[in-house]
Amino acid sequence: MKNLEELRQIRYKVKKNLQMRSGKHKVRIVVCMATCGIAAGARQTMNTLSDLIGKSDRDDVVITTSGCAGFCEQEPMIQIYIEDKEPVAYGKVDSKAAEEIFKKHILNGRIVERYLFSKGK
Amino acid sequence: MKDLADHIFDILENSVTSEATEVKVILGLRNKRFSCRIKDNGRGIKNEDVTDPFVTSRKERKVGLGLSLLKKTAENTNGFLRISRLEGNGTFLEFETDISHIDAKPFGDLAKVFVDAMRSWPDVDFEVLIKKEKSQNEPVLNTKEIRDVMDCADIQHKEIQDFVYQSIDKELKKIGINTQFGEF
Repeated sequence: MKNLEELRQIRYKVKKNLQMRSGKHKVRIVVCMATCGIAAGARQTMNTLSDLIGKSDRDDVVITTSGCAGFCEQEPMIQIYIEDKEPVAYGKVDSKAAEEIFKKHILNGRIVERYLFSKGK
Repeated sequence: MKDLADHIFDILENSVTSEATEVKVILGLRNKRFSCRIKDNGRGIKNEDVTDPFVTSRKERKVGLGLSLLKKTAENTNGFLRISRLEGNGTFLEFETDISHIDAKPFGDLAKVFVDAMRSWPDVDFEVLIKKEKSQNEPVLNTKEIRDVMDCADIQHKEIQDFVYQSIDKELKKIGINTQFGEF
């Protein structure tokens, strides 16, 4: 990359802002991204979630990916890990579902039964 | 698979699943033919036809569709898919597709693929280059270099993500990759 210096400055600015708030990640969203997930639209789901995090002004939420969970017919699937709570898995999460889950579950702690796949490990 | 971006992310996922720590991608567009070469240092494939949908290394199911779908995508447009095991470890994969063909898939958002890859696997080294005929390949992204400046997991921050995205996207658009059907 040609503009590493610029990147360094942006990072410096972001980190400085972060130090003022508490920068620990409390919520982890895992999007299943094997062939089955991708074919079902998981990349779109991930982009929607990423945009929502950007707009929500929350910096304690991270997105990562995982492989095939073995329930390909339920794809796109996501799992939500909130600190001190049981993990929750959702199935058939398209962009619209992702938005609903983000607003209700991640921002307000209410599980969205409609897309619920499983609770606990 | 809706677009080429989906396919490429799928191959990157294969590389990472096979424990690759370095993945190098070379993209090219010449005479309406899009080419993509991906080299990794993962476990490598066994001597079997990995494009057969009933051959897979995963344990959840007995089918593996990623590479068979890619093969179809490439061959539908007079293209090809080749996969070989590198000496020692690692895999080399190459595919080409004619983007002006009636059955061609759109590019999708290729810049996003690499941003997503950094976010998904912050410990893996990704290098992306654009293939040039007469000069040296043009570097687009090198996470090894980026690591001097920041942690790859910092890509979780929107501002950093946008910056990296823009810089990749700009380079790809210069040669016509990443506009929906390429520029003619």
